[in-house]
Amino acid sequence: MDLILQLLFTGIGIGAVYALVALGFVLIFRATNVVNFAQGEFSMVAAFLMVVFAVDLQWPYWLSFLLAIGGMALLGALFNLGVYYPLRHRTYLPVIISTIGASIFLANTTLALYGPQPQVLPPVFETQGFLVGPVFLDTQYLLIIAVTAVLVAFQYWFFEHTLIGKKLQATSQDKEMAALLGIPVAGMIMLTFVYSAVLGGIAGILVAPVLFVSIQMGATIALKAFAATIIGGFGDVTGAIIGGLALGIIETFGAAYISVPYKDAFAFIVLVAFLALRPQGIFGERIAEKA
Amino acid sequence: MRTTRRVFLKSAATVAAAGVVAPSIIRPASAQGGTVRIGMVLPVTGPGADAGRFALNGAKIALEAVNKAGGVLGKPMELVTEDDQTTNPGAVLAFSKLASQPDLVAFLGSIRSTQNHAMAPDILKTGKPVAFGGTDPVLTQLGNPWLFRFRPNDSFSARVIAEYGVSTLAKKKWAIIHSTDAFGTSGAKALTEALGKAGATVALDQGYTNQSQDFTPVVLAIRQSGADVIGSYFTFENDLGIFARQLRQLGVQAPWVGSASIVNVTALKLAGPSLYNTYGVADYAEESSDAARNFGKAYRAVMKLAPDNQSSWTFDAVTVLAKAINAAGKTDPKAIREALLAIRGHEGAEGTYNFDQNGDGLHGYNVVRNDKGNIVFDKRIDFYKA
Amino acid sequence: MTGSPRPVAADPVSAPRSPARGFPLGTLAYAALVAVAVFLAATTPFSGYVLNILMQAATYAIAVIGLTVVLGLCGQINLAQAAFFGIGAYAVGLGTVDLGISFWLCLPIGLVLALILGAVLGASTLRLGGHYLAMVTISFQQILTLIMINWIPVTHGPDGVPNIKRPGLFTDGQSYLALCVLVLAAVAYAVWRMPKTRLGRAMRAVRDNELAAGVTGIDIYRTKVMAFAIGALLAGLGGGLFAGSFTYISPDQFSFAESVVFLTMALLGGVGSPVGAVIGTGLLILIPEWLRFLKEIPGLYLAIYGLAVILIVVFMPEGIWGFLGDQVKRLRPRKAAPRAQDLTLTQDAATAAPVLEVEGLSKHFGGLKAVDEVSFTVTRGGIHALIGPNGSGKTTTLNVLSGLYTPTGGRLRLNGRDITRFAPHQRAGSGLGRTFQNIRLFRSMSALENVVIGAERPGNGIVAHDRASLEARARAALAFVGLEARADEPISSFSYGHQRLVEIARALAGNPVLLLLDEPAAGLNSSEKVALTALLRRMAAKGLTILIIDHDMTLVSDVASHITVLNFGRRIADGVTATVLREPAVIEAYLGQESTEGPGAGLKTDLAPA
Repeated sequence: MDLILQLLFTGIGIGAVYALVALGFVLIFRATNVVNFAQGEFSMVAAFLMVVFAVDLQWPYWLSFLLAIGGMALLGALFNLGVYYPLRHRTYLPVIISTIGASIFLANTTLALYGPQPQVLPPVFETQGFLVGPVFLDTQYLLIIAVTAVLVAFQYWFFEHTLIGKKLQATSQDKEMAALLGIPVAGMIMLTFVYSAVLGGIAGILVAPVLFVSIQMGATIALKAFAATIIGGFGDVTGAIIGGLALGIIETFGAAYISVPYKDAFAFIVLVAFLALRPQGIFGERIAEKA
Repeated sequence: MRTTRRVFLKSAATVAAAGVVAPSIIRPASAQGGTVRIGMVLPVTGPGADAGRFALNGAKIALEAVNKAGGVLGKPMELVTEDDQTTNPGAVLAFSKLASQPDLVAFLGSIRSTQNHAMAPDILKTGKPVAFGGTDPVLTQLGNPWLFRFRPNDSFSARVIAEYGVSTLAKKKWAIIHSTDAFGTSGAKALTEALGKAGATVALDQGYTNQSQDFTPVVLAIRQSGADVIGSYFTFENDLGIFARQLRQLGVQAPWVGSASIVNVTALKLAGPSLYNTYGVADYAEESSDAARNFGKAYRAVMKLAPDNQSSWTFDAVTVLAKAINAAGKTDPKAIREALLAIRGHEGAEGTYNFDQNGDGLHGYNVVRNDKGNIVFDKRIDFYKA
Repeated sequence: MTGSPRPVAADPVSAPRSPARGFPLGTLAYAALVAVAVFLAATTPFSGYVLNILMQAATYAIAVIGLTVVLGLCGQINLAQAAFFGIGAYAVGLGTVDLGISFWLCLPIGLVLALILGAVLGASTLRLGGHYLAMVTISFQQILTLIMINWIPVTHGPDGVPNIKRPGLFTDGQSYLALCVLVLAAVAYAVWRMPKTRLGRAMRAVRDNELAAGVTGIDIYRTKVMAFAIGALLAGLGGGLFAGSFTYISPDQFSFAESVVFLTMALLGGVGSPVGAVIGTGLLILIPEWLRFLKEIPGLYLAIYGLAVILIVVFMPEGIWGFLGDQVKRLRPRKAAPRAQDLTLTQDAATAAPVLEVEGLSKHFGGLKAVDEVSFTVTRGGIHALIGPNGSGKTTTLNVLSGLYTPTGGRLRLNGRDITRFAPHQRAGSGLGRTFQNIRLFRSMSALENVVIGAERPGNGIVAHDRASLEARARAALAFVGLEARADEPISSFSYGHQRLVEIARALAGNPVLLLLDEPAAGLNSSEKVALTALLRRMAAKGLTILIIDHDMTLVSDVASHITVLNFGRRIADGVTATVLREPAVIEAYLGQESTEGPGAGLKTDLAPA
């Protein structure tokens, strides 16, 4: 039993990370109908910014955090202007390639600027964690879970109860209609990219003390978050959360009870099974073109 | 839009033209006959970029020493590098690019076994000696006469791990944790064999894929297996770091004897206290010999960083290649090969080099202990019989 | 393809039989070019490095051309191309090394494996389309990679497979490169020709407009699976040759990252053509090699490479070849077209049975009864109109008739045959043609090609499926609507009204038993409407049966002999035009509708019978 609880905790912790990054995927997808292949690089860049500010320059953690987040907002804006905006009238394929180019660019620019050494970002809390009965609770994972919960709540409030959130929703549902209603569509998309970059950044900073800071961290997390998005469906925010948590739990238990080396396959097998058996089920969005 | 497009196309054309021209500009500059040149394949990009930097530094320190001592055949020695992007095709392209320059007399290959496997056919075709650092025992049994290993292979590391754990630590119930890549699987196989011979049992043999984000299931499996000692083959330091931390968090206190990566600089930095009191079989241990101490001193002076095996093997490789070329008296590949095979008792940073007919230079390992972050030399176990 | 009187005659992959005008010259030139390239590959003394790059480029290009088929022609994304590439490579690697089988046997085994897996993967997921397809292919890719890594007894695991044997005649690098170039040239030629074949046209139609493809008689699903399987096959072919070229393979060469590289190559070069694939592959392999002189700063050259990818996509969205190809096309002179024949429409006038019988047809969306137990009959010959105010269920009825929606209840009989459960292309095969209110043409094609697809309708009964007769038929149909002179122009250059006419010509070319017209007058100006009215009359005069939906009461009352009126999804009137338009229920339905929307000034004239 303690074994199961321990696995469950780890699964939820890892899942929360996937969920955070997946959230960024979903937001951009809803606004632009495009999968952003550079989403993982947002996390990587933010983690490196934290290392620069908090470790190399020894600035206070909170200040470093604010600066890193500010940097991510700026990066999100530049990303929109340079990678998405010139292609906004194109189909999704050129945009995908553009984001792939951006991901190569960001990863290798960071490498050129900072060098290849993996870095350590100290955790927010001194205590590594504590035992509750037989289960060890890692404080950093507790923090990740808490922040994810808060961000999800914030997002819900933001989208459902603020005017700007509603405008964002309108933009993601029908850009032409939104433009007719006088919503500044370009501005809304800009906001989406900024927010997604910040979300990805927060995920990267949170996960850095657990997975270390390396050039590869973005790609590794993003692939899983991508799978989480698939399981949850690209359609909505709750899907990303459910997908992320489900993926974390599935792979942790799969690794424990079936096979460690095939850990990464479980998520995809479950996913294919879902798509084959019930494409309309868990996944909110239906694919139907109006005649 | 039209003008920007034209400007872009023009500059793209310029870049393309520059790309075509640039190599030809570089070639004449490098083709001077005033130096003896050796090629080096190393990761500058990709997950191995870190290791590549260490490797390059080790080689450069040796190069400087060689040239200070008069170079080879009266000429300065020169190093030409290519990026392998930490991938197999990248390694093949990097090597063939180097091999296409006829004035390179010998090469430094990769520390990764799979890359050496990938390059092996081209190495055979090129027919010049290649010093490499991958530890998969099979590499020197391919019947490829041009491969020379400058680190002890994993059949030795496994025997040392087993011998140390069983005789010195007196532990008989083992858990083996290994990466599922070439290095990890061959190491685990050798360890299982060595443990069988030493009369110990394997309670758990657990592989994992590289770049795992979580090891909780692995640690719990170790806990449940009741193993009283852990043997490990980790490829990447961040995997090792995550595993080490979770192992301690989940309360596993069994002694842990790991392959070389457990004591390398990056792992120590990433894992910190989680690795205290672990044991590593290290091909490089600073306190193991005078040669190792001297290398350590030189390395610290340049890098302000503790040395490890990623730089020591390239240091030895460059030193030994220079020695062999000088001994051969010419840069003919066959002569260099004969000179390399004739090397006996060379005191290198990694240990004493005695090349056997397969091209294996080293036949033993050091056992070191992590004492609060400092690597303390324990003993050397060598299987070489002259 | 049920409902087709003759089973699909020609093998759709093979090129058309008649090598039409001017064509052999180009082929000869191409063959000569290939011969030179193969000769150069075999004889130029390349260094090992250049040889490796060229072999990698040639074998990758074959796989990328596979993407040209799947993505470029058929518009389906495949992010598992590296997995199929790997299947071909492992078949050759494991076959020659572990089993000691000949290379020439291993290669086809790999091809068959890739083909089967591609077809199975496609068949199980292509109904989903779009991003789901991307996801499923990624999943397949990941699972296959993990199998390559972890199924050590069979795949050698991460160690990879060394010492792969090349085939007998091609053991040295030069001759093997020549072999790769030859295969690449053959594949490129086949795919270059493909858009003009029946299958290729079907793929392009599916890519441009799935709904329209379905109603013109193309089996969308089968076309997609074929495209996917061909793409996988080519990846397998490239992979098999790749294994022989590097003589060492390992799982990391076939990872998801490589699939992304393949995709980038295809899109960068231009996904529409195999030339683009070759350009993209060459560039993406060469750019990082060119930039190697920047290696002093780790990561810098790959950063520049990433930037170059963005810039190329931004400034040449159709890829490099798409960009260059446009310039070339502008220079090419137009050829004179042969004179069009008269359009024949054969109608089974012998039977007096009704063409279409609709019985108790219902379509519910959740609680909403968009169509509620509607019944009517369309008799042979003449124009039957289906009218009703906005939201009365007309378009839904039409979509159920053509098979885009499955009915909730009721029966449909076409020429006495029950078609209730038929898919759109099967209905087209039984003789149902249609147009759309918001025009659905195949946007990347010329007017002629659009209409040729219509002429190819399975079961059309009068056209042989060779290129000459199909084009003649298409020209006849275009001449019938008055656009013969502009047959070879791209569809995007046509005005809205003319696009509508092309759409009608497309349907006419298929010699339909019944033609469904969905608001053909929508968006037309008054002179265009007059022309449309005349066209409808001429169509009816040829004996064609037409079911028309329209708002324009003048048009309807001008041409229709019979009217069915719907309101709130129910039939409220049915009968001869003059009578129906006087029925109080009909007037009320329109008046009620109009009065809620505003002053109904135009109503009376609209309702005035002819």
